[in-house]
This record gives sequence, C-alpha cells and structure tokens, in this order.
Amino acid sequence: MKSTRLAASLGAAFVLTASASTMALAQAPVCSAPVKVLAQPRDGLTLLEDSKDEFKKLSGAGFQIDYLNENDRRAKSRADASTVGNYNVYYVDEANVALFASSGWIAPLADYYPAEYDFADFDPGRQKVATYDGKVWFAPLTGGGDLMVYRKDILEAAGIQPPKTLDELLADVPKLTNADKGMYGIALRGARGSGANVWRWMPYFKAYGGKWFDGDKPAFNSDAAVKATETYLKLFKDSAPGTQTGSWDESTGAFLSGQVAILVESTPLSGMAVDPKTSQVVGKVGFLPPPAPLPGGGYGHGLAIATKANPDDASKKCAGLFVAWATSKENEKRRLDAHQFGELNRTSILSSKEFANIYGADLGQALAETGKVTAVNFWQDPRWPDLGDRWGIILEELVTGTRTDIKGSLNELEAYANELVKKK
Amino acid sequence: MRRRSFLPVTFLVPTLAILLVLSMVPTLYAIVIALQNRELSTPGYSWVWFSNFADLFLDRRFLNAVWVSVKWEIVTVVATMVVAIGLGVLMFEVASPRLRNIYCLLFIIPVLLPRVSAAFVWKFAYHPLYGIATYPYRLVTGGLIVDPLSKASTALFAVASVDVWQWGLFFAVIVLKLLETLPPQPIEAARLDHARRWQIHAYVTLPMLKAPLISLMFVKMIESLRSFDLIYVMTRGGPGVATETLDMYAFSQGFIESGKVSYASAMAVLMMIATVITFTMLWKRVQA
Repeated sequence: MKSTRLAASLGAAFVLTASASTMALAQAPVCSAPVKVLAQPRDGLTLLEDSKDEFKKLSGAGFQIDYLNENDRRAKSRADASTVGNYNVYYVDEANVALFASSGWIAPLADYYPAEYDFADFDPGRQKVATYDGKVWFAPLTGGGDLMVYRKDILEAAGIQPPKTLDELLADVPKLTNADKGMYGIALRGARGSGANVWRWMPYFKAYGGKWFDGDKPAFNSDAAVKATETYLKLFKDSAPGTQTGSWDESTGAFLSGQVAILVESTPLSGMAVDPKTSQVVGKVGFLPPPAPLPGGGYGHGLAIATKANPDDASKKCAGLFVAWATSKENEKRRLDAHQFGELNRTSILSSKEFANIYGADLGQALAETGKVTAVNFWQDPRWPDLGDRWGIILEELVTGTRTDIKGSLNELEAYANELVKKK
Repeated sequence: MRRRSFLPVTFLVPTLAILLVLSMVPTLYAIVIALQNRELSTPGYSWVWFSNFADLFLDRRFLNAVWVSVKWEIVTVVATMVVAIGLGVLMFEVASPRLRNIYCLLFIIPVLLPRVSAAFVWKFAYHPLYGIATYPYRLVTGGLIVDPLSKASTALFAVASVDVWQWGLFFAVIVLKLLETLPPQPIEAARLDHARRWQIHAYVTLPMLKAPLISLMFVKMIESLRSFDLIYVMTRGGPGVATETLDMYAFSQGFIESGKVSYASAMAVLMMIATVITFTMLWKRVQA
C-alpha cells in the first residue's frame, strides 16, 4: 500500500513537474533582443509604435524601426543585407522581393509565421505579389492596384462623363486642362525609378500588348513600347507642374490640393482623397477602375525576415512573430479605426461593416471592380530594379525633353537588357 | 637634447599611425575591389584587373558624370568666391560696424543648416506652383509656370545656387573679417592718391588678401566635391542625368540600381586619382 502511495505521489510529482516545465517553456520569451526593422515611413508603422508594450509582453523584447524614404530604404536594405546584416526585418516591395529572395537575403515567411495569425486572410492579390518562385516572402503592409480618381464637379462643369476607355481619357484630358485657373487634366509621374515613372508607364505598355521578355530574349522593344511612350508623353502635356520630375507625392499632392481633374494612381490615394486631414477635395471625388484596357499596377509592400541578422531558427522565429504581430488583424483593425485606408490588406477588414461605414459603398465597389483588372506589370526577376531603373532614367529624359528619340531610347535599353541576360 | 627629440615622435607617431590606418585601409580596399567583379547580389567574385576601368570609358553615363562634376566644381567655386568677395567688400564699404555684425549673424545661418534640410527647403522653394523662388516669375508673367529643377539647362544652376547661398554668404563674413584685419595705412595712402573705391580693393586690399583667399578657394573646391546630399535630395541626378555627378553615379551603380560595387569602386578610385593630381598641380601653381 505504502509503495503504491509512494508510486502515486512520485507519478503526481512527475506530472506536476512536467506540466510546470511545459508551462515554463510555453511562457519562455520568443525574443531575446529587440527586433531591428528597416522600413520606409508608413502611417501604419507609426501607429504600431504606440503598441510597443503589447509586443514586449508577447515576445519578451521590444522593437526599433528605422525609417528611410523609398529609394533610400531600397539602397540601404540592399547594402545591409549583402554586407553587415544589422536588421532583423526588412521592408520589401514587389520591385525587390525577387532580388532579396534569390540572393538569400530573406527567409521564406511561411516557415516562421505563426499559424494563428491567419496569413490566408490577406487579400489574394497582395498574397500573389508577396510570392516569388512559389514561396511567400513577406506579409503585406500595403498593396493593391490602381483606381481612377476623378473630380466629379470639374467633369460635370465641362460636360464630360468619366472616361471608361483609354481613347476617352486621351480625348478628355486636354479638355479638362485650364492652366490659367490652375487646373490640369491629369497628373503623372516623371521622376526616374522602376517604382516611379516606369510604374505609371507600364499600364500603357501592357494595354498596348507589351511584353518584357520572351524567355531570355528581351521583347519589350516593340510597337507597344513606342506607342505607350508616345501616349505617356502626350498625356504629360496636361500633367500638373512639378510632376515632370516628381513621383507619387507630387502627383497625388496636386490632386489632393485641387489642381487635377483625373488621376489614375495606386489605391491608397482613394483613402487620402476622402480624408479631410489630407484632402481639399473631399465630397467632390468619384472612383472608377482605370480606363480599359489599362491594367492596374499590382503592388505590395511588406515585412520580411532577414537571414543575416537572424542566423538561427530562434531569431528567425522572433522576427517571424514580429512580422505576424505587426500585420495581425488586431493591428489592422487599429489602422481602420485610425482611418488609414492605405494600410489595410486583410479581406476580413476590407469586407467589414466598419470599412463600408467609413469609406462608403462607391469606393468599396470600385475597389472590387479594379481588383479584376489588377495585374503584375513588371518583369518578375531579380534584375528588374536594374532594368527598370535604367528605363526610368531614359524615360525621365524623354519626359523633360533632354532626349526625343523614342525608338533610339528603346534600342539603348534593349542593348542594356542583353548585357544583363548575358551576365546571368 | 636627446629627450627633446623624442617629444615630437611621441606625439606624432600614434597620430600618424591612426591617420594612416583610417585613410589607407579603405583606400587600398577600394582599389582591390575595383580590380574584381564583385556584385552585391552574388557572393562569388573573380579578378578582372583593369576591365572595370576600361568599361568606364565606354559608359555614356560615366562620361556625362565627369562633365557634370567638372561643371559643378567650376560653377560653385567661382560663384561662391564672387559672392563672398562682392558681399564682403560691400559690407566693408557701406555698413556701419553694428550693421556688419547683424549681417554677419544672418549670413552665417545658412551654412549652419544641415545640407539635407537646406536641400528640402529649396526644393520646395523651387516648386513651380507654390515655390517662393518661382513666385516672382509667376507674378511678372501673369501666372506662367517655371520649373527650374525639371529642365536640363537650369537644374544644375538651381542646385548650385543653394550651395552658393550656404557657402558664399559664410565666406562673405570671412572676407569681411579679413578686410577688417588689414592695416589701414595702405588704404589711406591709396585714398590720398585719389584712387577710387573699386581701385583700392582691386589693387590694394584683395592682393593683400591673396593667400587667405586662395586657401578659402581650396576649402570650397574640396567642399564642392562632397555635394552628394544636396544634389541627391533636390534632383537625384535628374532630370535624366543632367545633374548626375561622379559620386552620385557611383552610389547609383553600387547601391541603387545594379549593386555593382566593383564598378562603383573603379569610379571612386579614378575620382581619387584625378582629385589628387588636380589639387597637387593647382597647389604647386599657386605656390610658384
């Protein structure tokens, strides 16, 4: 009897000890040091910094975000990832995810993304952009396609219906320009860069049937590229001043301050256009998908796990937890409550009642419509930033009049592309 | 006697050793990298010796960057010295001592501004619709638009004017202070000989200040070589490549566009050699 009791006591003690150690294991902090993040300024990330304590409680460590503007963030993260590896988490985007993934600078996200954070809830378009070579590499912070945002009052006064086709757009834009009154038909991006002027040029290129490569052979030097460039330059005659060497900030700034009639831009603009804090044209704006056959420029930015600064599984898990928490439903709900339209990526949030209450049914419908024509317009290859930036410089020269020969410019780009292909 | 001779060595050797390590290690490393074909995206590399240098001379953008750098150097140095001497002499001749102090304080403020802040302020000032620098043109022409940063013919001068605004005004203060330190007798003598004001400065005061003015010019020449931040913020080398200097093109090749660090290093090495040769020749010519 005694021995049975002893055995039972020992068994109970073992079970208690085992469960206690399991609990201790479960509560062991995931992170041993603060997570260092290199990002570009985003309202969503600024808001995230208010919840630092929440992440500390969850992981056992805090986080520190260093911000650089888009081009500088790209340059710095590339330099950091290939050399010292100071950052645990990189902000990556559609333009450089292929380069980062193929260079082994970031880890496949699914391996370290806790299942309870429900990755499948992200908008399918954004998931597609975050995928390269069959693997998901980042969790979206922002993304989407293009929308045509237009001034209802200006179009009505001019007796013009919102253009539904590219031909209509080309015909309407000059009619809407009235420079004496500070009104311009459209605003485009002229500043060099694969994510700047080339980004806005690509929908025209694709609309005219352009194709970047045929296998390893450059295929972009075509009538489609010439026509797209001619169209882009033609539209630039009615583009707001300052956009010839400007990018997103300049073109959206011109629209939001009431100087532009029609703007085809990335979807976050629509949220800014209805927000009195950022827009002087609230209540005067309508939304539609881009005029056919322009495809929307599918894009996505998000957070990825760095490999150099996270050499072992434990540190990758910590970075993965940060990425998952930063892009979680709870944090996205906070962004919705703060009216940060451009920071919303989850279908559960985009289709929620709160979203419809804040942004109205029109915008929701336009977003659903534009989703159907959103496409990946760029060359999904690690060499894309190199090729895209080279075209960006040439295109800026064409826009500002430093060069005029479109075909000669494309020949020059083709020669450069052939060199890139040879080096592979 | 022996003890005395040790003292300079004791102070000089550690300092020179640190200086040597700090300057030579990166320089030698840059030279070594320039002879290889390193790229950021690939860990492997091989020795290509002078191939990067040969490629540079066939590169349209590199040749353009050399020309832009030369233009930038000439425009900023000449304009800064002209503004500095002009304003310095004007303050010396016209302003009362109290007013001079106020001007000096005002003229020093631009150079105290961080380069990047100054660049952002002026980028906005040059905005064709809202800019304060473009406002007079809009006013005079009844609302016509001018966008100096988007035209290849004006962009370099628009950026250079910011550099001159910062350094020309600061140097004007130095020129004024130099003029104030001159002995009054030669100026008095020139006045007694009925020399005009401009003649006094052209033939008496400025020749007396030749050495410090040449030093100022050298300081500005070196400073102008480091204008990356100003140009990067205001134009990023654009429109097209109209304001793309050598350092900016090297940075672009190394870190923005293609990650060709060896190619970028070759540019840096060429820049270093050209700078050393040019400055040595100028220095010798000035001293001769």
